[in-house]
Amino acid sequence: MQRRDFFKKLGVVAAVSAVAPVISFAGDKPKSKNAMSYATAVSAITGGKTPKKSAKVKLKVPEIAENGAVVPVTVNVESPMTSSDYVKAIHILAAKNFNSRCIDVNLTPANGKAMFSTRIKLGGTQEVSALVELSNGDFLIATQSVKVTIGGCG
Amino acid sequence: MADKRKSLIKIKPKKFKDGEVVKVSFMVMHPMATGTTKNKKTKELIPAKFINNVKFNYNGKEITNMTVWEALSTNPVFTTYMKINGKGKLTVTYTDNTGEVNEKSKKIKPKG
Repeated sequence: MQRRDFFKKLGVVAAVSAVAPVISFAGDKPKSKNAMSYATAVSAITGGKTPKKSAKVKLKVPEIAENGAVVPVTVNVESPMTSSDYVKAIHILAAKNFNSRCIDVNLTPANGKAMFSTRIKLGGTQEVSALVELSNGDFLIATQSVKVTIGGCG
Repeated sequence: MADKRKSLIKIKPKKFKDGEVVKVSFMVMHPMATGTTKNKKTKELIPAKFINNVKFNYNGKEITNMTVWEALSTNPVFTTYMKINGKGKLTVTYTDNTGEVNEKSKKIKPKG
């Protein structure tokens, strides 16, 4: 192979690899069998009840996330956590991910404090919500939108 | 107990008394592949491999049970609170969607 040819080929390879991620992102996306939209996820958790917006649930998410692959989420719920009045479950939902359910945390009074924190992936700019189930059967919700500059779920 | 992954249980504060409520973090090195991403070089799908379920057990009692879906970050962290109730052992069991089950435990010794 001549030097000139080699550089030509190198240029082609570089161009293809630069364009490829864009194509794979826009092209046919493989669907997961766990795909679930936001509305079906909420109704699956609540069983038809409409969750109330409440100031008791404190959702802490950055407003602008530079990297969608790692978005820290903290949910804090005001609750005495006694055996008669406690937070049963905390669900973290991302509205536009192919599977809106991120995590379901089932708590018990032995936790002492209703708090959960983790890091999630976001495919793009969307709303993140925390759905909280209380021991008396009520559902509370807190929502916040997050701007993502680079998506995390290719 | 298939292959042992690197994991860690952290309790804050380090020194605690009986009856105190402490912060517990569980970290694990795990790819958390969603099954929808492609390898950029070979353009092949990366098969899904993510944690399905995490359980916190303290002295044989289940404290927290989490159902996990794909959308958690690589090398996830799970942080909650826990009420200290005597000497014992905290065991975290986590299950994979491929059936891999692993365990990590930490002794709990309250002072005073």
